Amino acid sequence: MTSPPPLGGQPRYDGGVRILLHALSLCAAGAVLGLAGNRLTPRPAPLGVPVVAAAEAPGAMCQLPGGRVPPVPRLSVEEATPLCVACSALFVDARSAAEYQAGHISGAVHLPPGAPAEPVLWRLGVYKTVIVYDRNPSCALADEVAKMLLERGAQDVRVLTGAWPAWTAAGAPGSSGPCAVCGEHAPRGAP
Amino acid sequence: MKRNVVLVCRLALGAAFLYAAASKVPDMATFAQDLANFRLLPPALVSYAASIVVGVEVVAGLALVTGFGARAAALVAASMLVVFIGALSQALLRGIDLRCGCFSGQENATWGTVLRDVVMLLPALAVMSPAQDPNSRKHPRLGARAPEARARRAASGRSDLQRGSGTTKY
Repeated sequence: MTSPPPLGGQPRYDGGVRILLHALSLCAAGAVLGLAGNRLTPRPAPLGVPVVAAAEAPGAMCQLPGGRVPPVPRLSVEEATPLCVACSALFVDARSAAEYQAGHISGAVHLPPGAPAEPVLWRLGVYKTVIVYDRNPSCALADEVAKMLLERGAQDVRVLTGAWPAWTAAGAPGSSGPCAVCGEHAPRGAP
Repeated sequence: MKRNVVLVCRLALGAAFLYAAASKVPDMATFAQDLANFRLLPPALVSYAASIVVGVEVVAGLALVTGFGARAAALVAASMLVVFIGALSQALLRGIDLRCGCFSGQENATWGTVLRDVVMLLPALAVMSPAQDPNSRKHPRLGARAPEARARRAASGRSDLQRGSGTTKY
């Protein structure tokens, strides 16, 4: 015969504890089901293999010799495309004028290293993020322009990983022609 | 009326969780990548977390739809929603532009997605409500009056075992 428990002998919140234990049981069952069922799915998650963010994947980064850390934060094409579509970031093209006219990211302004930065500087107050790109996966030109913009007061400057080739390969928005806001004009005879 | 509302909340929440899990199962690798893009977990744990999240969604959804352990399942669902809200909010505040990973497809993470998760919290809280517990007569407000009830039972000389559990009216 079990004697009644003393007053206050039982936990005061035993109902809550019971539900918490049930919830933990459900989580445990779900964890076992998920881990066991993963391999049965058509494209299972790669258990045991590290999965890094897309922007940090080796193929998405500018390749620096000796594994050096990029001097300016990077942004992948996947991350940059919505910013371009929404016109919520300022894109800066650091390539030559001819390359810019042949094709550039829609809305990008042309600012190669050493060129006057005034056409871009007044826009820094309008756009929170500035994304610089060039032609080369080393991103050397873009890094140079990005550092100059940071020195001139830009707060959030990124360099596009993969540069212009990655942008075109992804089919992201692009256009051609001279940079009108930079005071550039199309050469005579050009469309 | 109130019971019907809670029933609808339970079924709707359970269906939403089952749909979310079913939409991820065909492409778990992509869901793992979406999870990695939040940059909250060590890369080595991302795939395990993705598998566990889907498994828990299935179990919680089934429990909510069937009503078996519904309050516990609602607690699990609410906890997951709070985690989702936190993860989405931190990504948006950090300026990380990514896919939500909530359901299948290319849905981007926005403050609208956060709001949707907040709205989904409401039925979870309704199902979690102590009033839905069959033992709530014994322990209203999570046992706030249980000691007094035990004192009355002790005075009448009857033990908990003699009375059974959850069926005695007093």
